Amino acid sequence: MTGPAPPLNDAQLTILGGAMDRLVPSIDDLPGAGAMGLAPEVDTLARRHPPYRRALSTFIERLALKWRTEAPPAQQDALLRELEAADGATFTAVLELVYLAYYGDARVHRRVAWRGGPLQPQGFPLAPFKSEILDAVRGRPPFWRQT
Amino acid sequence: MAQTSADILIIGAGASGGAVAWRLSDVGLRVVCLEQGHWHKPGEYSTAFDDWEFRGATSFNFNPNVRALPEDYPVDDSGSDVTPLMFNAVGGSTVHWTAHAPRFHPSDFRVRSQDGVADDWPLTYFDLEPYYDLNDQQMGCSGIAGDPANPPRAPRPMPPLPLGPDGERLARGFDSLGWHWWPSDSYINSAPYRGRVACNNCGPNGLGCTVGAKASTDVTYWPAAIANGVELRTGARVFEVTTDSSGRASGARYFDADGNAQFQPARVVVLAANGIGTPRLMLLSKGERHPRGLANSSGLVGRNLMFHPCAAITGFFADGLDPTYRGPLGNILLSQEFYETDRSRGFVRGYTFQMNRSTGPARTAMGFTMPPVAWGEDHHADFAMRFGNSTTVIALGEDLPEEHNRVELSAALTDCNGIAAPKVTYRLSENSARMMAHACTQAEEVLRRAGAHTVKATPLLRPSGWHLMGTARMGDDPRRSVVDHSCRAHDVDNLYIVDGSVFVTGASVNPTPTLQAIALRAADHIRKAHIP
Repeated sequence: MTGPAPPLNDAQLTILGGAMDRLVPSIDDLPGAGAMGLAPEVDTLARRHPPYRRALSTFIERLALKWRTEAPPAQQDALLRELEAADGATFTAVLELVYLAYYGDARVHRRVAWRGGPLQPQGFPLAPFKSEILDAVRGRPPFWRQT
Repeated sequence: MAQTSADILIIGAGASGGAVAWRLSDVGLRVVCLEQGHWHKPGEYSTAFDDWEFRGATSFNFNPNVRALPEDYPVDDSGSDVTPLMFNAVGGSTVHWTAHAPRFHPSDFRVRSQDGVADDWPLTYFDLEPYYDLNDQQMGCSGIAGDPANPPRAPRPMPPLPLGPDGERLARGFDSLGWHWWPSDSYINSAPYRGRVACNNCGPNGLGCTVGAKASTDVTYWPAAIANGVELRTGARVFEVTTDSSGRASGARYFDADGNAQFQPARVVVLAANGIGTPRLMLLSKGERHPRGLANSSGLVGRNLMFHPCAAITGFFADGLDPTYRGPLGNILLSQEFYETDRSRGFVRGYTFQMNRSTGPARTAMGFTMPPVAWGEDHHADFAMRFGNSTTVIALGEDLPEEHNRVELSAALTDCNGIAAPKVTYRLSENSARMMAHACTQAEEVLRRAGAHTVKATPLLRPSGWHLMGTARMGDDPRRSVVDHSCRAHDVDNLYIVDGSVFVTGASVNPTPTLQAIALRAADHIRKAHIP
């Protein structure tokens, strides 16, 4: 594949969004990952990394053959499980994309109490090492094997 | 185009290449290093960006086949139970490592004598000890003396890193069983050291250290070596070590960053391209005097590949402690309770336990050391159990050398310069499988003692091939080894190998301090042997 990949079209995004709602359903005040509007973000991430892009294209192609927006959730889940069983690597790659988009979203960060943003330069505070915690193990005689 | 001859030509600018370059840099020699990767700016590592988890999964992935950057070469690992991991850059895989700095034990150099398996090394722990100490100073070691599982040693230049509430919790678990544990020796600064800042506990130290608190040779050895006059040429992919009519090394041919073939002549060649890259290059360098590959009269180049089989055992806690993603991912504490052979366990040799922390939300959901978080109706409950609430015990086992585990040249796969890629064949031994099963049981016990309500184990972590060892082994017998105790090739007296390829056995600790100590020691031998 050469050149930049075209973005998914509206129909494909709709199908992807529907599947995303089954993969990461609603919780508390957050709708499912698709209803949160994250399908375009999944597409954007996929286009930054060719293996993800290939996996998403394959997944959408296969999903579109059988996906019915109006189908009961159990039926949609069954289709997703069928795709997972048929090609676990592709399915896992798409699941990773969905998780990266979902858990990269500020609304989700607030819900799971994650600070968000870059880890640096802030880091996290930790109390310095306290040597008293070694008291028990220090009492053990050397046991390294002599040669 | 031919270059001016070098006294010493080093191939590879990673852990060992940096160490050997620095050690040879102050004696007036012309030292040149060829590195296929490039300099990275620490400030541009993943953790400086909002999307650090995406970058960690893609362009900064441990796996070169996933990254697929121009400076990477593909590895055919379809015949391997473990995925080889590496990074191609100035600093090599130390850019990516978690910077554990344990040492081999004295017994690790006498495996044949003591346990009747594998082979003894042609050197001892005490031959390496001064070089371990030197390396600790140069890289910057945080740690504390008094560990009863290891010989006494010089004080570390910095105190241990914080254990954190999660580390203290696990330590109490070990104490309750009467098992050994000790704060990890770490090449991460616990205090400012030689112009580098202290760690601020951001977490994923395996993704490069944005602030430079973690030692990687691009921020330790290389600046000092370059200041002493070493020339480091990046974007230089070596495809042949050349030899003269007598079979001695005469230099290296490489593709420069523009894809042009170049030749660098040299009096002495030092290979430091890791346990896969080095045998690949030797096998590529066939000639009239070396029909089976460079310095391969033994037929052992590429054979005896060792990883460290890893099991990941994760405990889940609900005691309201601070989130477990605060602090370095690794380098907290280790246990060597099961380090030495006890045949009643059903296997020879042993393993080390290392504590690992958890990580950010997306990487947690993607599984990290476990299968991904469940999708569907169970998703949120599974995620909540894991995120910020888990501690992993990694069991890192000693892999025994077996000739059928090997690196060859792929007949079908090439890098972007058309050079044959390495093909890795590796099967986990029965001994290792039994060892990992034992480790899973013991780790569960300690995690339960620490308060875990649920424990899940991955008995063999497939993407765990960080440690690449054994493929150009050291020994006294040229029929059974590739290099001698000084790392000089038996067949080529001006060729040295200083990376993990020369390991006779792998011990059950991270190999980098040992391979760096070996590289520093080899540099001293090179000085004696080749400086008039």
